[in-house]
Amino acid sequence: MNKPSPAASFATDSTPLHYLTVTEASRLIGSGQLSPVTLVEAFLARIAALDETLHCYITVTAERALAAARTAEAEIAAGRWKGALHGIPFAVKDNYYVAGLPTTGGSRLMLDHVSTTTSTAVARLEAAGAILLGKLNTWEYGTGNGGVYHDLPFPVARNPWDLERFTGGSSTGAGASVPAGLAMFSLGSDTGGSIRLPAAACGLQGLKATFGRVSRAHCLPNCWTLDHTGPLTWTIEDNAIVMQAIAGYDAEDPSSADMPVPDYRKALHAGVKGLVIGYVRDLGPGGEALDAANAQAMDEAAALLEAQGAIIREVRLPAPLAEYRSVTKVINWAESYSIHEKDFLERSALMGQALREKMMAGFTVRAADYLAATRLRRTLTAATDALMASCDALLIAGAFHVAPRFDEPETITPFTTDTATSVFNVTGHPALSLCTGYDAGGVPLNAQIVGRFFDEATVLQVAQAYESATPWRARRPAL
Amino acid sequence: MSDIQTTSLDEIRLYAERHGLNGLPEAQFARLAELAKTVREAGLGVRRMPSEENEPAHLFTVTPRRAAP
Repeated sequence: MNKPSPAASFATDSTPLHYLTVTEASRLIGSGQLSPVTLVEAFLARIAALDETLHCYITVTAERALAAARTAEAEIAAGRWKGALHGIPFAVKDNYYVAGLPTTGGSRLMLDHVSTTTSTAVARLEAAGAILLGKLNTWEYGTGNGGVYHDLPFPVARNPWDLERFTGGSSTGAGASVPAGLAMFSLGSDTGGSIRLPAAACGLQGLKATFGRVSRAHCLPNCWTLDHTGPLTWTIEDNAIVMQAIAGYDAEDPSSADMPVPDYRKALHAGVKGLVIGYVRDLGPGGEALDAANAQAMDEAAALLEAQGAIIREVRLPAPLAEYRSVTKVINWAESYSIHEKDFLERSALMGQALREKMMAGFTVRAADYLAATRLRRTLTAATDALMASCDALLIAGAFHVAPRFDEPETITPFTTDTATSVFNVTGHPALSLCTGYDAGGVPLNAQIVGRFFDEATVLQVAQAYESATPWRARRPAL
Repeated sequence: MSDIQTTSLDEIRLYAERHGLNGLPEAQFARLAELAKTVREAGLGVRRMPSEENEPAHLFTVTPRRAAP
């Protein structure tokens, strides 16, 4: 692995290359001030220096990345700059297939799997000139029972804000890599919160778009009707840039929506004046688990948006959190079992405890209960969509707790279960985990911004207004 | 999917055998029984829709075949 020259390590007087945002690096690359090769070398050096500690990556594709960087450099030098992602290094959760590369799903069951297809999301990013650095750590098969048992073939990823803390799951490496400067952005997948929970734990902006907005084709499925793919980024503008490349219809994904994709950056900085933002301050039963620090940060976010001209209206979800969660659980158990039945019946001894116990649960789900959950889902979705029709966006808690400590294992599962993230897997609405600051110990806080179907643009617009008015992006982990 | 109604260890073993789960270590049958109870309670806890017109969210649909160009 090549190391960057010292002179190339800093893009500006104060920002190391590995801490540039997509937006900043794109500007430098597009204007010829930064070489994609230099940038990729800087990230590979950062990975070499820190990943022994952070365990973000399962596979680093250094030679492939350098070859792509040299191609990008030549294309740009020849006047063929492709746009904002050209030469930008990224990484994906190891449940995205990339032809010719291993995809392990974080599992002993797939240690020798080499993909023959490429996920549509990765293909679109590479077509836009982005450069894949490698495949990121994940809970086994991108799922589990909420617990972390340290029994998988790869060491558990560490939270860069505090190495003794969990990253959030299941997209563990996707969450840890970006704030630490081991990828400029990442892609994760989200069945009940697995983009938004690592984003919350690791201080990122993570977007689960509308169901059908971003293709899931050629990703290892977990649960067909709840799975989403999407980006985790340092800034909201970076999120908009990545979404621009990956959103849109894909005939290879049966759930893909044939809907036009707007220019996500067009109104990104338009502010929130006049927008009606429903604030779910009272989450109802179960909401009392919300950490005081997260609650206070969300109150402050509402006040800040109101000060910028938004109309804040307190609203309530149309059903208790427990009802959404029961629907998610039953559907997730059943569909996930259906996907992985053969592995469970024949090779469960190779599974880690978290996946094996989820499969055990799926093994006993009654068909009548699964169908009851899908019938209730339709009702919940309609009721939630009626709420969304009354406002332009929602502000609601995401992960109720800050990232838990590994030496307090009893707090790991509640981090995953005490949330309002799965609400929007049930309904399919776009939902973004927004970093809302840090607690007294410097651990990231979070809330969700939720939008109407296919209106990710407004979600990003509201999030951008908040991000621009707060200092949280100026801080990086001390590594 | 099953019609499992009991979570006794004996029934769980029979159920596993009936549905092709062989080779599960003996120690894990107790956990399977616990989880079966959790799943049964969660499933029965899902609110039932009052009308036969409340159809499942994920409906089977068909699209007409496009004519060859």
